[in-house]
Amino acid sequence: MKSNHAGAEHVASRLMRESLVDKKLIASTEAPVHAILPKINVIQIGGLSIMDRGRRAVLPLLDEIVANQDKYTLVVGAGPGVRARHIFSVGLDLGLPTGALATLAAKSSAQNAYMVACLLADSGFVYLEAPFIVQLLPAMLAAARGAVFNGIPPYDLWEHPPAVGKIPPHGSDAGSYLVGEVFGARSVILLKDVDGLYTADPKTNPDAEFIAEIGAAELIARQLPTLPIEPVILELLVRAKLATSFRIVNGLVPGNLTRALNGETIGTLIHR
Amino acid sequence: MQGADNSVLTELGKRLVSGSLSDATLQRATEASPDFAILPWVNVVKIGGQSIMDRGRSAVMPLIDEIVANLAHHKMILGTGAGTRARHIYSLAIDLGLPVGVLTVLGTAVAWQNAQMLQYLLAKYGIAFLEPEAFASLPHYLMERGAVICQGMPPYKLWEENPEIGRIPPQRTDTGCFLIAEVFGARKMIYVKDEDGLYTADPKKNPAARHIPCISVQKLLADDQDDLVVERAVLDLMLTARHIREIQFVNGLKPGQLSAALAGEPVGTIIFNAAPKAAFAAAAP
Repeated sequence: MKSNHAGAEHVASRLMRESLVDKKLIASTEAPVHAILPKINVIQIGGLSIMDRGRRAVLPLLDEIVANQDKYTLVVGAGPGVRARHIFSVGLDLGLPTGALATLAAKSSAQNAYMVACLLADSGFVYLEAPFIVQLLPAMLAAARGAVFNGIPPYDLWEHPPAVGKIPPHGSDAGSYLVGEVFGARSVILLKDVDGLYTADPKTNPDAEFIAEIGAAELIARQLPTLPIEPVILELLVRAKLATSFRIVNGLVPGNLTRALNGETIGTLIHR
Repeated sequence: MQGADNSVLTELGKRLVSGSLSDATLQRATEASPDFAILPWVNVVKIGGQSIMDRGRSAVMPLIDEIVANLAHHKMILGTGAGTRARHIYSLAIDLGLPVGVLTVLGTAVAWQNAQMLQYLLAKYGIAFLEPEAFASLPHYLMERGAVICQGMPPYKLWEENPEIGRIPPQRTDTGCFLIAEVFGARKMIYVKDEDGLYTADPKKNPAARHIPCISVQKLLADDQDDLVVERAVLDLMLTARHIREIQFVNGLKPGQLSAALAGEPVGTIIFNAAPKAAFAAAAP
């Protein structure tokens, strides 16, 4: 198993002694990916768009999640909402770096995820922190009847400084999408307070046109001034291996989530 | 959260609470906020996996001596690379069809093993190993003992992004250590490998390769070499970093190079940002 080359002890492998930065070597690793949990559906509940509205928005949605529990395996993420905006404001004023802002904001979405898990507890949903998603998600889905997780990915201090400004680029949309991608989920559904994607913000611009379906690369190229999703999720989708699309759905309209789970045309479908 | 609470918010804060975070003008508005360096005196030193740790005693022990000799003079966060066991498990896991996020979890274990070995060797000097979750204690250990050890991988776990091409996690220990340096506003980011720095080609394979003592990250990205001394993600992040303006590569097999780099001497190769973000000036005390 071992060979000694240029002073280093190596374990024999195809990548032995090679530079993992070499372009040809990187290209040679392209190969099919196995879907670990192909039956799960990842549902992301928006922070500002849903959670911050309180019971009139949240409770009907949770009822709809429970109504779909027998038919679909559901893994539910939650976004941070206005408390993250507030701590961004204070943190930026203090001069804190992006990695610190990401660490702080992740606690706001953890709070929302924990509240969702409490409200779904009597239906058998469990709240899993990131280390437990890594170790226990399959076991929990087999034993429990669904899981809730923190939408913000565990990048913490290691969050990337963005190209412009200091807002952490990987929020709860990106985190939920990445859970769908790594497990090879059946669907990724982002629940917001708009019907989907528009050419402009429909809340402020009545001329905004609805987009029912679009490719991620095309959407990036259109450079829309504002999006109902984190821009980074489009870059992630371009590089998708398994989760090759996600849907943006209005979570304030009863029945929308069910239709999205059934694979019906609802909201906006963004694909690779 | 609306109403009375808003009166205590800054102008930027009011926009953050009410606006879309994906709004480009709002993102630009955050550009002008001040930059506070959390640990401006700390040096992040990455010890290579394949290049140093895998060589065993002959490479590691002299480096340990050099680290100990610098403890009284320079505060160091020592991050470790992964190396040949990571290459083995990446190869195996790709063959088994496992996704990039799983490869990241697996690779992290290898960097963790190397960090543990380094910690056994430095334990008698009071040097602790810290997991990412324990980083809030890092200032205390640095103040008391001068150094701490961590594994170099960023804690992305299953949430690691896919690379543009292939299946190898694009953000590994070079990137993890760089981001530690950036978030703390570190004094230096030094990579300890088994070459004198950057060459025009891989000097292990091409004897005609020439050494490059100093180069801008912009030039390096424009050259688009097939192989590099550092993960490409580090170069991309250098462009958006607000604190770290240069990174240095030294040969850990040559005694004295790490000490020289810590002392501020231009040994090895320095990759610098020729166009650092203007807001960097705001970091002055």
